[in-house]
Amino acid sequence: MGFGQFLTEPEFKFIIVTHRDIFQNTAQESSRFSEQYAELSSVIRLDKDDMKKIGVKAGDSVIVKNASGRVVLKAESSILEQPHPGTAFMINGPWANALVAADTGGTGVPAFKNIEAVLSRSKEEKVTSLDELV
Amino acid sequence: MDKGPFVCTGCALLCDDIAVELQDNRVTRVDTACRKGVSRMKGCVSPMPCTVDGKTVDENVAIREAARILKEARHPLVFGHGNSTLEAQQKAIELARKLGAHIDDTSSFCQGPLVEAILNNKIPTCTLDEVRHMADVIIFWGADPSHSHPRHLSMYSYFPRGKQRQRGWEEDRTAIIIDVRKSDTAVICGDKLYEIPVGADPDFMNALLNALSNKVPKTPFNMDPKRILELANILKKAEFGVVFAGLGMVYSLDSLDPLFSLMDKLNETSKFHLIPMVGQYNMRGFDHTLFRETGHINRVYFRGEEIEHGPQQSVIELISNDIIDAAMIIGSDPLASLPGPIAKKLAKIPLITIDPCENLTSRRSKVTIPSALSGVECDGTAIRMDGVEVVLKQIIETNKLTDEKIIARIMEEI
Amino acid sequence: MSNLMGIYQLLPKTNCKKCGKATCMAFAVDLLARKISIEDCPPLKEEKYLSGYEKLKELITPADNVTETGFLVHEDKCIGCGNCVVACPVNVVGDPEGTGSGRAPSNDKVILYIRDGIVRPVNIHECRRFGHNKTLCYACIDTCPTKAIEFV
Ligand code: SF4
Ligand code: SF4
Ligand code: SF4
Ligand code: SF4
Repeated sequence: MGFGQFLTEPEFKFIIVTHRDIFQNTAQESSRFSEQYAELSSVIRLDKDDMKKIGVKAGDSVIVKNASGRVVLKAESSILEQPHPGTAFMINGPWANALVAADTGGTGVPAFKNIEAVLSRSKEEKVTSLDELV
Repeated sequence: MDKGPFVCTGCALLCDDIAVELQDNRVTRVDTACRKGVSRMKGCVSPMPCTVDGKTVDENVAIREAARILKEARHPLVFGHGNSTLEAQQKAIELARKLGAHIDDTSSFCQGPLVEAILNNKIPTCTLDEVRHMADVIIFWGADPSHSHPRHLSMYSYFPRGKQRQRGWEEDRTAIIIDVRKSDTAVICGDKLYEIPVGADPDFMNALLNALSNKVPKTPFNMDPKRILELANILKKAEFGVVFAGLGMVYSLDSLDPLFSLMDKLNETSKFHLIPMVGQYNMRGFDHTLFRETGHINRVYFRGEEIEHGPQQSVIELISNDIIDAAMIIGSDPLASLPGPIAKKLAKIPLITIDPCENLTSRRSKVTIPSALSGVECDGTAIRMDGVEVVLKQIIETNKLTDEKIIARIMEEI
Repeated sequence: MSNLMGIYQLLPKTNCKKCGKATCMAFAVDLLARKISIEDCPPLKEEKYLSGYEKLKELITPADNVTETGFLVHEDKCIGCGNCVVACPVNVVGDPEGTGSGRAPSNDKVILYIRDGIVRPVNIHECRRFGHNKTLCYACIDTCPTKAIEFV
């Protein structure tokens, strides 16, 4: 046992960009409650250097939160060739939506694709389940 | 039975060349549809039960209960519609009118602004068939059709041979992609990817506008002006250009003005059109229908004889401001697709879900009524992403009611 | 995507010759071409190489998915978009009105078509990469968004 677990984990600011994914969509057509749907929707993809900086490996859990919500996600490394420090990607779905603000500045259009949040490591917590979300 | 070809309702591309094989009244094989289309046509593994308060009931009971909830509510909302036929949408609007309800659809936080601009003739548009036969310069802007509309490039926009595009994509067409990341579609477009920062779409439009006017195109993110000038040159020489606008673009524009200016400029030297990358198969259909009836594509409140419209009538603001006190959801899963804080609020009011399949919203609903899956279990008409009307055919028999029938029955009870 | 070095790294690298090849590298070359299967390397089943075995199993699609021309579809990656089907020059010439125009096949001259959301080869010996006048055609590879097609 180290001291690490007693210290609060440092937090890192990120912009999360959401996008669609046909495999998740296919799983959703079959069932919104399928394991595959949950697995694909609860992954956050990070820049490789960002992962080193934060100290997370592919498959680790991370806590992502902001004023709108808090979710535990699985961190994976980016599949993009170009580095994108400070930007993370998620497939759109209830996990990403948990972080989208209700306030639309009166426009009625939430910022689904441009989410500000802070991310930190999580040792113990399990990835948020669909049931915990709503 | 009809021999086909059938129409896939997996997305607003509404591919109409699908063949199926049946066994025991189930779709067991699907030809020509993409992966997600196949998954849709084969049907879901969790069909929706008919329930009131979680208990299985007879259809009549559920319909009566739904009618009661809607009648007793002071501010009911009728929401969804993107996965229903035009006929069902028409009925849903009738119901909302009769109830003095609020009505809105997913276009409210999606492609609505572009569909509205097109219906008001503010942006030139064209059909996908014209794209197939004529388009030589194709721009995917903030869109990744390989994931959202998988057959888009092969069926219409890039790879097919068309009347005026006989020599194939390498020689006859140029596909350009503007996005915040190298998506799978961008991989196919090679060096024609213009990668921009998140939210920088208006800046890029501006830079492109300058380049088209032979000024040095500057961007706050320092993209090489030479590359932008190169792009401007390709666009100027286009015989038939088309912009496929995805949500990435829509969400980055606070106002459509930069897009209007760009389209105007492009049309000074060449012919450019825009088609919104509508997701749900008949979202555009709903917008057309409501527009014809009220002059608005979405966000309508039937207040007595009057019609109120505006952002405050959007599904998001209505829930956010605690206006609505009951909601009927047709073919949509708002608890999954709305921002978390809004979804939580929505879950607290009495909900009625009409859908072929169970979803997050249905599991939190007071009443759930299973409906026939359009294009598979029932026929009807729909409007493709480009505004063209498409006839859907029924493939298999079912005793489930259609959305249209269910809404009509609820109206009778009211 | 499987490549030679990647495969080699997962082998025992002891050059024990139990597979009948002179070296593990030679084994890797044949494995990539699907001439042999991972089962042909007995030591791979040993405890210490087991993780390599598991990874190779994922990496190397069994030989029956590979056609005689070496045309291989990674079915888990294919999204059924039909880009390859519409771009394939053999389809364009044989079925200009159907696949060549972006639609469902209209005759049996096509060598690629989509069934159940995944591309299927048929009569693939008609492929431009095969036969007397073979050319190195890349149409199906270049147009694939997920890099699901490979020639091995
Ligand atoms: S592209 Fe859309 S309409 Fe066409 S087969 Fe796929 S899901 Fe269905
Ligand atoms: S049997 Fe396995 S370990 Fe031995 S040489 Fe062949 S590949 Fe290498
Ligand atoms: S290599 Fe060329 S001819 Fe052969 S299947 Fe691919 S596209 Fe068709
Ligand atoms: S182009 Fe690739 S993903 Fe599309 S159908 Fe062909 S192999 Fe599948």
